[in-house]
Amino acid sequence: MSAAIEIQSVTKRYGALTVLDDISLTITPGEFVVFLGPSGCGKSTLLRMIAGLEAVDAGEIHLGGRRIDTLAPGQRGVAMVFQSYALYPHMTVAKNMAFGLENIGLEAAEITRRVTEAARVLEIDHLLDRKPAKLSGGQRQRVAIGRAIVKEPMAFLFDEPLSNLDAALRGRTRLELAQLHQRLGATMIFVTHDQVEAMTLADRIVIMNGRKIEQIGTPMDIYHRPKTRFVAEFVGSPAMSMLPVAAVTAESVEIAGLGRIAAQLPGLSGFDAAGAVLGVRAEDAHVLPADQSGLPFTISVVERLGDRTLLYGRLGTVCDLVVEDTGRSTAVAGQTVSVGFNPAALHLFDAAGRACDGLGG
Amino acid sequence: MAKTYAPTDLIANRRLYWIAAGLAVVMMAPVLWIIGLSIKDNAELMRGTQQVFSAPYTVVNYLNILKSSNVFGWFLNSLIVALGQTVGVLILSSLAGYAFARLEFPFRRTLFVIVLFGLAVPEQVVIIARHQMFNWFGLHNTHIALILPGLSSAFGVFLMAQFFRAIPRDIDEAALLDNTPPFRIFWRVLMPLTLPAQATLGIFTFLLAWNDYWWPLISATKKEMFTLTIGIASSQTNFAQSEGLGFLSAQAVFAALPIVVVYIFFQRHIVTAVSGGAVK
Ligand SMILES: Nc1ncnc2c1ncn2[C@@H]1O[C@H](COP(=O)(O)OP(=O)(O)O)[C@@H](O)[C@H]1O
Ligand SMILES: [Mg+2]
Repeated sequence: MSAAIEIQSVTKRYGALTVLDDISLTITPGEFVVFLGPSGCGKSTLLRMIAGLEAVDAGEIHLGGRRIDTLAPGQRGVAMVFQSYALYPHMTVAKNMAFGLENIGLEAAEITRRVTEAARVLEIDHLLDRKPAKLSGGQRQRVAIGRAIVKEPMAFLFDEPLSNLDAALRGRTRLELAQLHQRLGATMIFVTHDQVEAMTLADRIVIMNGRKIEQIGTPMDIYHRPKTRFVAEFVGSPAMSMLPVAAVTAESVEIAGLGRIAAQLPGLSGFDAAGAVLGVRAEDAHVLPADQSGLPFTISVVERLGDRTLLYGRLGTVCDLVVEDTGRSTAVAGQTVSVGFNPAALHLFDAAGRACDGLGG
Repeated sequence: MAKTYAPTDLIANRRLYWIAAGLAVVMMAPVLWIIGLSIKDNAELMRGTQQVFSAPYTVVNYLNILKSSNVFGWFLNSLIVALGQTVGVLILSSLAGYAFARLEFPFRRTLFVIVLFGLAVPEQVVIIARHQMFNWFGLHNTHIALILPGLSSAFGVFLMAQFFRAIPRDIDEAALLDNTPPFRIFWRVLMPLTLPAQATLGIFTFLLAWNDYWWPLISATKKEMFTLTIGIASSQTNFAQSEGLGFLSAQAVFAALPIVVVYIFFQRHIVTAVSGGAVK
């Protein structure tokens, strides 16, 4: 069972502080949506408003066509997995999962069936009689997910559920979450500040920053067609480099103090180049062979990742830049080389940080 | 095999061990002395207490408790008062502590500060006013009078509030999402997590109530309303206490029995409580 979630002009204030300002968002049934943004941008707050743990100051939230922001948390048909897991320490694993079902008066046989089934799926059947204190972090995590599954909710809410796991386990659990989503086909909202989690799990990513939604889109959309400078810099590792722009035409960009580079920039009409920047991802910048001329780049750090090499340095004396080179790169720190850019993958942002329409590949 | 690393200095530890053993002897000596006296004939002790070290020994003093004295009644009074206070303090402190930790209500902070002030007010300051109040209400010489003052435990409210605060709110919220009604969250989800605090508070309250001397001395003036502490003190007949020493000692031992039982059964919790840590 899965349902659409509709967030309509939702606002949240703490006293004089507005944390979320007029947020609207529609999530289709069965969609896996990730709220991504820096710490403190209000991701948890928005999730908790859907769960009913925070009051909604203005606007409405609908789930499966029913208005839920006026209902008690337990009445909304959502299940939540907390970052801390929030298992009941004095109850066994089985009891942890059964407790919510007992509260709604579900008959014992059905409770047992659901708990057994969830435990089997999550491979925690051998742990059912243990207390949470006797479980590893990964096992607790599974129990927390199990407690959500048995409720057969219309939507699952996850608040940074992987952040307490070590790196290896996080990767595995991420994969399992993706599989779980496929199997259940349920609507899921997942909050994280980790872009890898967002990119790998999401059908759509909602990038949040400073009380607002910056952009909503598929991971590829967000990565290749960032609508704002914030999104461009927040997503992608290493972060996108920003080059100061002096002037633009449809075929080229003049980098302030350095010269022109080729660029394919359709839809430039009305674009104000004053204070604009040109965003370049490391993989779209490359070291040119000795016989080609480009912009001068002085390498300060060479980071060898095996399959590729990242060169950190300065473009002329103007700005920092990261350039990707091959794994067998011969570059050394201190060297000055010529760099070129992929004209089809450049991102132009105006002084307010808005992307020039039709940019990028 | 390599020598394993010993985290603490064993020599220093052994020295500590002997110091502790020495202190234990000092602590135990009077206890053993009283037990010794209690199993000696009263008349024999009149000749000198060194008689403790030689036979014959007797249980006649204990039999006399069962037969004649008021000790049983006093014991019962002490039990009613101590249990009544313990149960009352646990209930009230848990409810108040939960309220201070979790509920929003007007003057919450102010009220909590007032409760904390209660920690600083010694009984001596309020005892006259309290005596008059109970006098007006005609409550003296009742169990209620002996129990009531002990119920307002500033320490208990403070302890429970801190304990509830230490429980992550995520737990309450998970329970909310689990459709748990408010009182059930308090009772089924949070209260079980405060068991260590309940044990600590319960033991302290019980021991304090059992050993309390001053308030029962003021409030209970009729012999049949005495608690054990007052009762035993009242059976001290002469200043030098040369008569009936064995009987008195037997009464003291008898009075201490519940305390010993509490210590034996709750030893682990008492150690935790006194060392102030290990709350899980
Ligand atoms: N109970 C609260 N009272 C006041 N401010 C709060 C409260 N909860 C959260 N905030 C503020 O709201 C903002 C968003 O918080 P949160 O949703 O937790 O961010 P995120 O989950 O994105 O890191 C933060 O600036 C935080 O300081
Ligand atoms: Mg958060």
